[in-house]
This record gives sequence, C-alpha cells and structure tokens, in this order.
Amino acid sequence: MTRDAAGRPARRGGFRTVVGVFLGYAVLVFFALMFLYPFVIQTANAFKTEADAAAHPLSPVPDPFTTAAFAKIFDSTAFPLWIGNSILVTVLITVGRVFLDSLAGYALARLSFRGRGAVTAMIVAVMAVPGVVLLIPKFLVLNQLGIYNTYSALVLPLLVDAAGVFIMRQFFLSVPPSLEEAARMDGAGVFRTYWSIILPMARPALITLTILSFQASWNEFPHTVVAVQSPQLFTLPRGIANLVSGSLGAGTQYPLKLGAALLATIPVAIIFVIFQRYFVRGAAEGASKE
Amino acid sequence: MTDRTRRGRSGIRGNEAVAGWLFVAPAVLILGLFLVLPIGMALWVSVSGWNGQGSPFAPGVPFVGAQNYTSLFLDEGLTRENFMISIRNNLYYVAVAVPAQTVLALALALVVNQRFLKGTSFFRTAFYFPSVTSSVAISVVFLFLFANSGAVNALLAMVGISGPAWFADPRGLLHLVLDGLGLVDLANPPAALTGGGPFGLSWWEWLAGPSVAMSTIIMLVVWTTSGTFMLIFLAALQDVPVQVEEASLIDGANAWQRLRHVTLPMLKPALFLVITLGLIGTWQVFDQIYVMSQGKPANTTLTPAYLSYRTAFRDFEYGTGAAISFVLFLIIVTMTLLQRWIMRDRDEVRPRRRWWPPRRRAS
Amino acid sequence: MGRAGLRAFAAACLLALAACGDTPGPVPQRTGPAALQVLIGSSGAAETKAVTDAAAAWAKASGNSVTVIPAQDLDQQLGQAFAGSSPPDVFYVDAARFADFASVGALEPYADRLPAADTFYGTLRQAFTYQGRFYCAPKDFATLALQINEDLWAQAGLTAADVPRDWAQLTAVAGRIAARGITPLVLGDTVERIGALLVQAGGWLISPNGRQATADSPQNAAALRYLQELLRAGLARYPGDVDTGWAGEAFGRGLAAMTIEGNWIRGALAGDYPDVRYTVHELPAGPAGKGTLSFTTCWGISARSPYQQQAIDFVTAMTAVDQQLAFASAYGVMPSVTTARDRYLQAYPADRAFLDGAAYAQGPVNAPGMETVMSDFDTQLSGLAVRDPQAILRRLQKNMTAALRD
Repeated sequence: MTRDAAGRPARRGGFRTVVGVFLGYAVLVFFALMFLYPFVIQTANAFKTEADAAAHPLSPVPDPFTTAAFAKIFDSTAFPLWIGNSILVTVLITVGRVFLDSLAGYALARLSFRGRGAVTAMIVAVMAVPGVVLLIPKFLVLNQLGIYNTYSALVLPLLVDAAGVFIMRQFFLSVPPSLEEAARMDGAGVFRTYWSIILPMARPALITLTILSFQASWNEFPHTVVAVQSPQLFTLPRGIANLVSGSLGAGTQYPLKLGAALLATIPVAIIFVIFQRYFVRGAAEGASKE
Repeated sequence: MTDRTRRGRSGIRGNEAVAGWLFVAPAVLILGLFLVLPIGMALWVSVSGWNGQGSPFAPGVPFVGAQNYTSLFLDEGLTRENFMISIRNNLYYVAVAVPAQTVLALALALVVNQRFLKGTSFFRTAFYFPSVTSSVAISVVFLFLFANSGAVNALLAMVGISGPAWFADPRGLLHLVLDGLGLVDLANPPAALTGGGPFGLSWWEWLAGPSVAMSTIIMLVVWTTSGTFMLIFLAALQDVPVQVEEASLIDGANAWQRLRHVTLPMLKPALFLVITLGLIGTWQVFDQIYVMSQGKPANTTLTPAYLSYRTAFRDFEYGTGAAISFVLFLIIVTMTLLQRWIMRDRDEVRPRRRWWPPRRRAS
Repeated sequence: MGRAGLRAFAAACLLALAACGDTPGPVPQRTGPAALQVLIGSSGAAETKAVTDAAAAWAKASGNSVTVIPAQDLDQQLGQAFAGSSPPDVFYVDAARFADFASVGALEPYADRLPAADTFYGTLRQAFTYQGRFYCAPKDFATLALQINEDLWAQAGLTAADVPRDWAQLTAVAGRIAARGITPLVLGDTVERIGALLVQAGGWLISPNGRQATADSPQNAAALRYLQELLRAGLARYPGDVDTGWAGEAFGRGLAAMTIEGNWIRGALAGDYPDVRYTVHELPAGPAGKGTLSFTTCWGISARSPYQQQAIDFVTAMTAVDQQLAFASAYGVMPSVTTARDRYLQAYPADRAFLDGAAYAQGPVNAPGMETVMSDFDTQLSGLAVRDPQAILRRLQKNMTAALRD
C-alpha cells in the first residue's frame, strides 16, 4: 500500500473518491429534502387558497398568493390570546426552571446536608416517570388544590424539572471547587457565593438549560389538556389542537391550520438557528437523561 | 485563633445544612406535589370505583380492589378488548418505529460524519430541526401531507400509484402483505386464526400489523426523532480515535468491513442508548394520536396512553383509566431500568468532559 | 395494601391539601339573584351568539347574572368539571351521553317541574328519561331525512313521482341511477344513520325502559342484510368509499344522488356547496313502517348547583316558544315543543320532512356506559359489506348486556 508524505494511506483512485463524494451528497440532499420539504410545503400552502392547496399540494409556489388564511387566523380564532398565554407561560416556566433547577443542582453537588442522598435519589427516580402516565394523577392534584383551570395550573407543576436539576448537578460536580472555597474564606454567605461566583461560571450550562426549558414549555401539550379547560387559558399547542379537531362540515381549511402551525413553529425555529450548538449539546444531554 | 476558626467552620457547616435545604426546597416541593403525590392519589383511584363526581377522596367512594385491573386482563368484555387492541397497536408501533429510527439515525450520522464531505453541519442542522418543533404543529403538517388530496398522494400519483385514504384505512399492513401474497383472503380470514386467541383478541387480530393509518403516525415519529438520535450517534462517532480507523485502513479493509468490524463495535453503547430511549419514547405517544386520529379508524391507532386519557376523561371510568396508566407506567419503568442498567458504566465517566466545546476526534 | 391502608395513604397524601372533597347530600340552596354558569357545546359562532344574547336578555329581565361559556370539547370539559368542586349550573347534555350523567347523579331531575313540561315531543321526553324520571328539558332537535340531488335525479331520468316511499322503491330507483354510472346513495357508516333502518324494520337496540339489550333481533338482522345488499350491489356507499369525510360532503360535491342526513346538512351545504340543488323527503318506510332517528340536546342542571330554582327559570325562558323560534332562525334547529310546530312550518316549509319525523323518531340508546359499545358497533358497521350481520348483532348484544349489567 502506498502512502503519502504525511504517512497517511494514499487515496485509492480519484474516480472512486468522486463517486463517493457524489453518492454522499446525493444521500445528504435526498434526506435534507425529506426533512425540510414538509416545512416548505407547510409554508407554501399557508399562503394558498383552499382550492389551490387541494389541487397542488406539492407545489412550493402559491398561485394565487394570498394571506387570507392569516387574516382568518387573527380574525376568527383566538390566536392572539393563545400567543399571549404561550409567551407568559413559557417565560415564567423558563425563568423558574433556570433559577430553581440550578439552585437545587448546586445544593446537591456542593452543599453537604442531611438527606442530600435521599433528595438526589428522588430526583433520579422522578426522571424515570413518564409524563403521559401522569395525566390523570396531575388532574386530580390540580383539582384537589383548587387551582385546576388557572394560570397557576399551567405554570406551577412545570416550574421545576428533574432532568434540569440533574444536568445542573452534573455540571457543578465538574467545576473545580477552589474558586468558591476562596470566596467562602472571604466570608461570603452560601447564597452570595452561589449567586456571584458560581452562577456566572455556569453560563454555558445555564444557556443550555434556558434553551431546553424554552423549547419544552413552548411546545408543551399534554399538560395543558389536563390543567385547563377554558379557552381563555389555551396556549398555542392546545389552541391549534382544537382548531384541527374541528366539527363536521367545518371544511378542511388546510391553509388556515398550516398557517397557525407555522406561526407556532417560527419562534422555536429562530431560537434554533441562533443557538444551534446549545440545542445540539442539550439534545445529547437531555436525551440521555430522559 | 484556633477557637475562632473552629467556630467559623461549624458555623459554615450549619449554614450549609440550612442553605442546602432551602436551595432544594422549591424543587422538592414542586416535584413532590406534582409528581410523587399524584402517583399516590392515582393508585387509590385505580382501586376505587370513583365515578368522577366530586372528590375521589370523599367518604362513600367505594373500594373495588383489583377489579379495574382484572377488567383489563381477565374479564371478557370491551374494556379488555380495547386495552388489548391498544397494546397490540403499540407493540407493532414499537416494532416498526424503533428499528426504523435507529437505522435511519445511524445512517445519517455515518454520512454526516464523513470527512471528505463539506458543509455537513448544514445537513446535521436540517436533520435535527424537526426534533425541536412542536409535536402538535408537526401533526398538523402531516395531516395535510397524508390527506386524500395531500402531498404524499400527489407524489404517488406522479409515479402512477393511487394512494390510499391514509387516515381512514384500518387495514393492517401484515394482513395486506399476506393477502397480497395470496396466503389469506382479507374478506374471508382463515377460521383457524379467527377462532380464538389470547386475552380475548383473535390470532387474526393480533397478527394484523400496524394499520395504514398507524403507519402515517409511525412515519411522523421516525421523522421527528431520527435527528436527535443522529446527534447521539455523532457524539459517539467523534469519540472514535482516528488511529483506530487509520490502522484499519492500513490493513486494507474496505468501507463495509471498517463499518462492520471497527465503527459499529465502538458505537455499541450509543446503539444501546438509542434503542432503549426509543423503547421508552414509543410507549408514550400521545400528542400525535390526540391531534391526528383519536384512535380512529377502527381503534387501529389507539395506544395505551391515549386510551387511558379517553377512558378517564370521556367515558368517566377514572378507575380503569388510572389502572391503564399504571400498567403503562410499569412497562416504561421496566424499559428505563433496563436502560439505566445497560448504561450504568458510562454514567460515571460522562459528566466530566461533556460541557466543554466538542473536540472533533479527540486524541 | 388493604382498603384501610390505601385510604390512610390517600389521606396522608391529602394532608398537605386544603380542599378535602365535598360532603355528600343535598346542596344548600340560595335564593335571590344568582350568578349562573352556563356551559354550552356550540355548533358554531351563530349558536354561541344566539345563546349568549338570549341569556343576557333573561339576566337583565330577571335581575340575575349569567356567564355563557362555549366549550371546545363539551364531554371532556363536563367530565373534568364534575370531578372538580364547582361544576357549571346549566349545561348542554347530548342525548347519547345523557344516561352517563343521570346514572352518576350529576343531573337534577327537574324537567317535570317546568310549566310547559307536557308540550315537549314524546320522543324527546323519552330521550331524557332515566329510570322513569324526566330529567332535563330538550333544547331543540333534529331528525334524519332523505336528500335528493335534483340535477342527478333528472340525469337518471327520474321525476318527483319516483321519490322512494319504501325499501323496494329505494332499491328500484337506486338501480336506475346506478345504471347511469352515478352512485345512488351515500350513507354515513355509523349507528347514527344506519339505526334508522333498524327502526324501519321494526327493531331497535334497547328495550323502551332502557334495561334490556335487543340487538340480536330478526328485525335488526333484516335491516342490516338489506343494507348489505345495497352496499354489495354498489347501490349504497359509505363516505370513505367515495373519498369524503362525511355524507354531506359527498352529496355536496355531487358524488351521489341521495343521502340520509339531518337538519344540519342545510347549513353545511349552504356554506360549503351553495350551488347544489336538492330536495328533502321523509325516509323510505321499511317492513314495519316509517322510521327515523332524532338527535337532541337538553339543558342539564347540575345536582350540585346552589341556584336550582333560578336555573329552572332560565331553562323555562330558553325553551319558550318564541325563544326557540329565534334559535331556529339563528342556527337551523327545530323547536322541541309541539306548540311551536305550526309557526315553524310556516317559516320553513321545506323542513316538513324533518319535522314530520318527530312523530316516529327513535332517540339514541338511552343507557349508561354505551359510548365504547356504540363506537365498537360503528367499527363493525363500517365493515358491513364483508361481515356477517348476525355476528355483528350478536357481538353488540353481548357488549350491551355486559355494559347494562355494570
């Protein structure tokens, strides 16, 4: 076998490499179309008339181009209300999760107190509890607490997530303890040390947690099904789900539904493009801890 | 001096104990109130005859023992039949979706990881994007894609195939294949199979395969989860030392041999992780069913998760609904424990280097 | 863990919680101005507006206050509301779910206390009677009738004289239409449409007192066999077979010459397919005479409402003749009282076939726990062309008997 100057095996035949590159790109482009073209179809059809959408569903070009669906979304559905609710709920949950998860994560990693092992075990155990089996139980608790069908019901139960606490604990375990020890020596209290020394260091982990929380709470659906019932409290996913399961004879109205779904996707898409690498990091971390 | 230091230390330790509890208190309170406590309450409901009027803890709500559970497994009737149908549907769903998403994710990761291709980060992003979007929004898109006059049927029409009415077609794929091979007649199933079977469902029904309608939901889920799993494979691939690959190149191994004997063995932990995560996730499908099919057509997209919701909130059989939840809970916890057990060695090393920027091909 | 242990466990769980369930027994009644919560399952914006306006007018005149809440998903919302501490005072109850609510004591059986209790159509009274008590006042109703597409009818060489009056005539005209390459009849594949054939054959699924399943009768079998013949000969098709979501869509798109739907098809056709020309006729009679199905909703009053008298006053106002005629013109339903019949016919002569159906209509199966049983029956019916009618009915009989025993 021949080798080049750097000692690596020489390329075997330019032709095969060209074929390899070509095949590689063919596969990539094919799957990129598979994964992205549905969004193209969604966007295009949201700007079509109903007849055009039914006749040419595949076409990426609306003909004629119309924003009637969007006018209808804002006119005849409670869309603005759903957006408002979604923003409110998402902001509250994200802030709550970032603060409370990191607080608990820090305590579990660094502070010694009786029962720490038990709490850590509980967090790990709770992570294994699948959300969908809690639908009925959660409803029962919200009902007993008397907060069923309120904003509190939408926000409170999601204010802390076990996976987030665990991620933060793992992060703080990996930070060298010397810095905070120095701060403590200077007489700083536990909370001040945490707030002004530890948190600033934890920026990458906090950003990841923020992104994960934002995405999870913006998209949250099953919880809203059992937490609220009044249309005034619907978030975007719940509102859209109701829009879709419309009554008999309401017509298909695909441009309207696709448009509504598109508007719900845009914020996540923007955040995704900006904070891509945190998403990627969070995915590997979140997935392995789910 | 010594005295002061000692007092200072113990003060700090005392502070720490109080602070520690204060710091974890909100998390413990919320998780306890909305995750641990509900499980206890649901356990009571699942052995009660609560009819959904007023509080389940009011005096006078009857205790019915294991009745709600036996109605799922032992007692002949529609409750058991629907539950078993939902189990069957989910088994087929798992059997198709898990291998499909694993293979697709692995293939995508292998291609994206090729060094001789440029611009792979764009493709990585593209493949991952569906995973971060809302399940409800994506379900709406797929409703349109697979509508009778939708994009998929338009695509099929271009190659001369008349697509099915996807969401209205309850025929099982396995039935269709057997029928297509001339082994059975759909209209006249063999009496040997329709005669009987376990848990009140005939062998013929157990062997239906996922319905045409369910296959659209499987496609949706494979499409949205493959990106995440691809990232897990990619992370593992980037840990494969370059030397190992080069050594195999020197040995004159071809691409397939390298994949088979060098790369795949090194991906084994990631493969286990992806498969077990898949097994856990596929038992939890709810949003897509709620939005796209509500169990229709002919109950072929009914899953235990959706059935428990429907039984409780639509039929007001809260006891049975809670019992279904617990059975599902057991299934998923079993899968999770399996995953934890398989991954137990890896967790020790993991957290250390995760947070630093990923290095390609660490050496 | 035994019963005591579990209860103790549940009680311990509850220690942290303030509300510890309601005490059973009658709810103390309050007099004076009430704040009524009214939960409605609206058919659309027109109905929501009409009910909200009517409620506001009543509130103003009576000095009470009323909040009308349109439900997105009435069944689910009611279920969750009853499990909570404060269900709405007044709410729509669909006849098909009525027995579920009545059997668990959620409903106040007030209807016989209404001044106009005797004026409701008998078939509607029956629909809201459980164990001999007339629970709640029918809000309005609809029946099934036969719609004929005038253009396709003429195309097949048929005239007004050919409108089928019985099954034999139906088969005959269907054959003539099919000969022209047109689908004769498109029919919804659920018990809510096919049930009419059972009634025409002299059968039905449950005994009049709601205690016995009567599914596997020879009359029912005859009806299903008749429909099976139509389906197998291509004389009748299900909506899914012609690529549509429901029969009205197929009819509106001109895919079939006839369909069997209820009053709601008027609004749907006017909205989605305004150009289709059609007439409405009574359903063809079967071996046992005329038969159709009625669909109705009642004004349920919560057994736990502290304002029952005020709620009854509200329902009295909502079911008054003038008010019902106003609702009829707002969203196309038929008044539930016989005293409004003549004025309704004057205003909507084309609806005579629907209204005449009230005399011989059959309401939904009126027993608790039937939701899953009926949806299973629907599943079976959707495969009627290839299934044995007897086997379908035996299966239904078995399931109904089991549900009635519980």
